[in-house]
Amino acid sequence: MPVQSLQNTDVILPQHTPHPLLPFLQSQSQNTLTRLYQRPSSCLSIFRLLGPIERQLIMNLLWLESAIPAATMSAWVMPEGKQAYDEALAVMAGLHIAPNSTVKLALNLTFKSSLRQAITGGGNTGSFGTPADKDYKRQSANIENLDAYALERWETILHYMVSSGQGQNPAKPSQGVLYLLQRSGLMNTAHGAILQITSSGFQFLLHSPHDQLWNLLLQYLHMAEERQMDLVEVLSFLFMLSTMDLGREYSTEPLSETQKAMLEDLRDYGLVWQRKVGSHSILLRWVPSINVLYYLQASSKRFSPTRLATTLTSSSPPLPSSHSTGGSRAADATGTVALSSGAAQQGFIVLETNYRIYAYTDNPLQTAVLNLFITMKYRFPNLVVGMLTRESVRKALSNGISADQIISYLTTHAHPQMRKNNPLLPVTVQDQIRLWELERNRLKSAEGYLYKDFASQADYEYVLAYAKQLDVVLWESAIKRCFFGTLEGHSNVRGFIERRTGAA
Amino acid sequence: MRAIKGVLLTCDSAVKQILLTMNEKDPFVIEDLDDYHLVIKADEEYRVRRELEAELEKNTYSLEAN
Repeated sequence: MPVQSLQNTDVILPQHTPHPLLPFLQSQSQNTLTRLYQRPSSCLSIFRLLGPIERQLIMNLLWLESAIPAATMSAWVMPEGKQAYDEALAVMAGLHIAPNSTVKLALNLTFKSSLRQAITGGGNTGSFGTPADKDYKRQSANIENLDAYALERWETILHYMVSSGQGQNPAKPSQGVLYLLQRSGLMNTAHGAILQITSSGFQFLLHSPHDQLWNLLLQYLHMAEERQMDLVEVLSFLFMLSTMDLGREYSTEPLSETQKAMLEDLRDYGLVWQRKVGSHSILLRWVPSINVLYYLQASSKRFSPTRLATTLTSSSPPLPSSHSTGGSRAADATGTVALSSGAAQQGFIVLETNYRIYAYTDNPLQTAVLNLFITMKYRFPNLVVGMLTRESVRKALSNGISADQIISYLTTHAHPQMRKNNPLLPVTVQDQIRLWELERNRLKSAEGYLYKDFASQADYEYVLAYAKQLDVVLWESAIKRCFFGTLEGHSNVRGFIERRTGAA
Repeated sequence: MRAIKGVLLTCDSAVKQILLTMNEKDPFVIEDLDDYHLVIKADEEYRVRRELEAELEKNTYSLEAN
């Protein structure tokens, strides 16, 4: 439920859910940001990522030629809105959009002129991408194909994650994607050489596609820093993609070398689509940071952004219909655009009080996710029947998945029929899942030292008081005249006792 | 005054009784503190946990086994 409603409430309450990219931008230097603000598309995209109050303030200041006294602006603010207003100003100052000043209020000059240009058009910076000339020989990719491509790429990644280490062999994403998954801690190689999903990886699967995408892209940005790629180029290219038209082809000619290299990565994630030129022209590319030799097919001089890319900075759903509910994929593709806002968000899971789960889905990804914590009973073309059992839940728990994650997944994807119930999930089942989790934690352990056989009660109390000051006491008993301290506190406590006995 | 290295186990009293029974067979307990706390040898913790797990499993009714 929370994941779902996020997109709808985004417009109303963004201050509670600041976009994940904003902290990253705030951590960048003023110099980097100013260079980024030279591109109108970047300014527009950042503007779209900000909350409504920030946007309102920017629009107020945008067409003013000179700075205004800060008092003039704050006179508009109601007393109860003061906090929100101050927070908004702090965000803008952090992004160097409006320098922090108690006297004057004005927009960063670069940001101002670029955003003006973005709104009014004109200029020839080409920051919104340069459309490729029409190719009459070949038909350009239509929207249905782009959606299908993006969906296929994206689900390949998720499906690979979810079925890792289960003895299945799903289609492998490219090396670059695998490396990214590993770097982001969503998968690791703890058990031998095979990549396995981690606890945070499972949480990742529960997020909305939009959050998942930004999660990975943020990781990509961190990686870009290490690979010595120019962050401004990387960021501005992402923003450029996010302002492009779906279904239009763009030319790769005006892109910088960094951005051309990014095209290859983004193609793997399903953000852009490129026609392959031909199988005879295979290039080798050495990627030093990953120590991997890429076999690359030479690509054409044009590319098309997919829906994943064009919705990066908007609140529209990034995937056409990631939750296909019945029917074949081919039939789905035609209806996707109309369905994208409604059906894609609908749940498919019915959970009964007898622990049975009916999942109306034909999607292998969703089946695989469910398989993480239920025991499968039957499979039909559009229905999977399974049961939550002690064994299946314990298996999930031992993989690092928490009871709350299971419950929140079931809640988020509950079938509309289930929504009539209050509470949504049967209480018995919820409680039992939590009990199964508690059962695993009947024994808590902590390493440390037991201090006993004190010479006198006063001695004991004196040392105990010192240990308590350090906050290292885990257990104490005045009757037995002993206490248990943590491992970290031992050297301090021992030093204290030695000093005391030395002095006495 | 003495300081002994070990692991402090915090558990419910039922589990503690099982642990004490296990201890008779193969001693690992350093000190029995109270109803909910035991201090055991640090290098035995893994084995104790594994054996306790097996012991608790015996008391569980499983649907799938039938």
